[in-house]
Amino acid sequence: MGVMLGALMLILGVVLFLLLPILRGEWAGMARSKGELTDAEARKRAALKALRDVEYDYHTGKLDDADYSDLKTALSRDALHAMKRADQAEQAESGEVASAHSGSAATTGDDDLEAEIERARAGLRAGRACGNCGELNVEGSRFCVTCGATLASEAAQA
Amino acid sequence: MTEHPTTAPAPKKGGGGRFFVGLVGVTLVVTYLIWTGVTETMVYYLTPTELMARVQEDPTFREMGVKVSGQLVKGSWQRIGPNHHRFEITDLEDPQSVVTIEYADGLPDTFNDQADVEVVAEGRLRDDGVFEATLVLTKCGSRYEAAPEDLAG
Amino acid sequence: MTLLGEIALWVALPVALWGTVLSFVGGRQDRGDLVLSGERAVHAVFALLLVVSAGIIAAFLGDRFEYWYVASYSNRDLDTYYKISGLWAGQRGSLVFWALLLSLFSSITVFGNRFKNREFMPYVTGTLLAISSFFLIVLLFANVNPFERLDFLPADGQGLNPQLQNYWMTIHPPTLYLGFTAFTVPFAFAISALLTGRLDARWLVLTRRWILLSWFFLTNGIVFGMRWAYEELGWGGYWFWDPVENASLLPWLTATAFLHSIQIQENRGMLKVWNMGLVTLTFLLTVFATFLTRSGLIESVHTFAQELTIAVIFLTFMGLLTIICTVLIVWRWPLLKTENQIQSFVSRESAFLFNNLIFLGAAFTVLWGTLLPLITEGLMGEKIAVGPPFFNRVNIPIGLALLALMGIGPVIAWRRASTRNLRKNFLFPMLFGIGVFAAFAVAGSRQWMALTTFGLSAFVLAIVFVEFWKGTRARARIEGEGAARAFYHLVARNRRRWGGYIVHVGVVMIFTAFAGEAFDDEITQTVNPGDQILISSPFGHDYTLEYQGVSTTLRTGNMAWQAMAFLTVSKNGRPVGTMTSEKRMYFTWEAPVTEVGILSSPLEDLYVIFEDAEDLAGAVQNEAGSQQVTLEVQVNPLVGWIWYGGLIMTIGSLIAIWPSRGSIPATSVAHVEPEPAAAAV
Repeated sequence: MGVMLGALMLILGVVLFLLLPILRGEWAGMARSKGELTDAEARKRAALKALRDVEYDYHTGKLDDADYSDLKTALSRDALHAMKRADQAEQAESGEVASAHSGSAATTGDDDLEAEIERARAGLRAGRACGNCGELNVEGSRFCVTCGATLASEAAQA
Repeated sequence: MTEHPTTAPAPKKGGGGRFFVGLVGVTLVVTYLIWTGVTETMVYYLTPTELMARVQEDPTFREMGVKVSGQLVKGSWQRIGPNHHRFEITDLEDPQSVVTIEYADGLPDTFNDQADVEVVAEGRLRDDGVFEATLVLTKCGSRYEAAPEDLAG
Repeated sequence: MTLLGEIALWVALPVALWGTVLSFVGGRQDRGDLVLSGERAVHAVFALLLVVSAGIIAAFLGDRFEYWYVASYSNRDLDTYYKISGLWAGQRGSLVFWALLLSLFSSITVFGNRFKNREFMPYVTGTLLAISSFFLIVLLFANVNPFERLDFLPADGQGLNPQLQNYWMTIHPPTLYLGFTAFTVPFAFAISALLTGRLDARWLVLTRRWILLSWFFLTNGIVFGMRWAYEELGWGGYWFWDPVENASLLPWLTATAFLHSIQIQENRGMLKVWNMGLVTLTFLLTVFATFLTRSGLIESVHTFAQELTIAVIFLTFMGLLTIICTVLIVWRWPLLKTENQIQSFVSRESAFLFNNLIFLGAAFTVLWGTLLPLITEGLMGEKIAVGPPFFNRVNIPIGLALLALMGIGPVIAWRRASTRNLRKNFLFPMLFGIGVFAAFAVAGSRQWMALTTFGLSAFVLAIVFVEFWKGTRARARIEGEGAARAFYHLVARNRRRWGGYIVHVGVVMIFTAFAGEAFDDEITQTVNPGDQILISSPFGHDYTLEYQGVSTTLRTGNMAWQAMAFLTVSKNGRPVGTMTSEKRMYFTWEAPVTEVGILSSPLEDLYVIFEDAEDLAGAVQNEAGSQQVTLEVQVNPLVGWIWYGGLIMTIGSLIAIWPSRGSIPATSVAHVEPEPAAAAV
């Protein structure tokens, strides 16, 4: 008897649980939420991470100068491309003008490419590029604006 | 709802062949390893009936290492010396076909001549008709389960 | 409670089917309400399966022997611990347990993604529920209902096979099942990616942790199984290439390959189709393993025929999945085009590619060797068997190749390694490896395979050590940190990489342990009290075991008698303790069971097996004239390194899994919004 009652309650509970959203018109979110990981963003992080790994390999003496500059050029190009796409995607989403830290996304040309790469490398060494997510932060930042990780800059300055 | 799917950047030319070269190379090596492995280590897996038939056909078959498997005959287990055992197995489908097996090592714990046990023995058939085993296994796996009839006992 | 559990099982199926249909339809039609209902179905199925599991456990604890499953795996005197773990002791309960774990992981996935990845989720939910539905269909309609009742009430159950009453054997199946079911989540994401066309970098990033988690459990599950076999099956071995073992190894091999190939896709945008194929294959193999481990299918066509219903259902399911996945991949082929090509065989891409091909090759050989008897019987009417000699023969060269790649992969450059790069990074480790090989050869050993293993292991260890050394030193220099801090930060900032290196160290230890088997020794001796057995280990340790006699205790615990063969052990002349090996007669089992004695030290194990007694009946009565026994004593060099290596692999994978703070940006707070049906148009 008790079992039958329990079973009935169970079934009723489950049915209600399942049908209520439809009856009450409750919807689960269906669209991408702001700030969620996009393809461009994922690629950008992978590219910056690869660049960081190359820097690491060079500093630990696994790469000599010639290998280093070859790889650096190729990867920097990839990284820049990825950063541009990420910025474009972000612009498309938010409709805002790209904020300062995205830098020269709007311009093209080799001079700017060089400058951007130089900034990226300088950023890595000065600790402005976040070691965790690759975001280039404003100089003097102590915490990454995107992922919150501590930036190396304070240690480097010590 | 399906948004325009993302497209990948155009692939760079050339070099795709390397993937297939690698694939073919490894496939060839693995095939070679399997081929030689099987031909050099395989043993025939026979029932007692098949074993006897083979030996009658071709007496030199005795020299081959084979695996023979069958139902353990209840009560046939004898200890013929320290760690030396003798027992009989029959063909699952033909209880008339019997093979006597001798084994000079420890029998597995699941070996039990009071229950329905299937035995697999690897070794050679001696001239005296007794199968000298180098390895004896019993079939377990699903044999950890019981049939409803067994439970009534 | 048990009756409630049985009802819950019947309710779970329609709920799962409901959720499957609604998720797919809701995703396709952009109906958030249907999708929400589908997601709730996931949680409902989990709750229902909890009730089902509780019902089964209650039946065990309550000694409800009218249930066939309980009567088959329990008896009144069984330890409570084993009654509870009876849930996964046999095929039926294992299927429920599998479904429970799957529903748990599904629930976690759905809950964790309620505000994000919304474009993927409807199809992820649908896929997960579809698979759950399948298992529920099997449970209810394939003659494997755990609630099946006998038409009589047995006075007592059969009891659990004593060989299964071992700590390792209770945690081994659940751990493996956690691994199998966890892999369903990446599979569901892959299907979702194919269906939605979102085949970019994201689906891999999202499922990376699930893949690692699954692999973590699979690895541990396999090592636990090896430990059980070593302790309990009593032959001094830990792996027998038995069909059930092989079935659990197969998904591990492909999952390991997958773990590596996804890095290529992330870094270079290559192997996209390959990865889709791998995730499908791995998932199919987990289903195959689940289905195989509790049935005697592979053994012969006889057992196959006995279990025909479930065999047909599973094979149909796997066939259907294969067809669906193939169709999806072919459909999305244009989006899976590779972004880069392999530029040189001497590159990291190439090393990873060979890693994958070789792992797949190993999986193929294991599958082939396992199915060979069935295939030859089916095709030629004649049965051929291959056993450990075949598997070892084929897999040793494969293992050596993988060992070499473990050293090469981490250090060789991406795209194209220059001669400079090669010389700089490989010269010292190679010399070290060759040196180790030569040292053993000079010392007189001719076990070439084992020596090659040692040499390659040294090579890999040298490379990993140098990586850690250089990395720590560079970081310490740049950041001005002390060595310990630098090391910690080095690992913490790139957990996947350094965790992976640590896993490799564990693997090297295990391979070295395998090679150590080549140096084992054993002696079988018939002894009377006072007799000594002498055996030496390759490390120069001389063991003297003096047999004291058999001492039997009657009616202890759940045993009718427990006969212990007692030995005192000296190592190099110094007494180090005692060992026993036993024969036990459990009340619920017709034949005596042997328990081995193991004396472990870091370099080797001393292993004693009580094979046979001259007069067992007399020995059981502790009669003085019945003390002659035959004992087998083994020295197993380096076998402990398997367990240590397994532990290191665990630590390494935990480091790799561990989330870094804020690795995915904080999502905005999107909540469930009531949306009038009209606006859905």
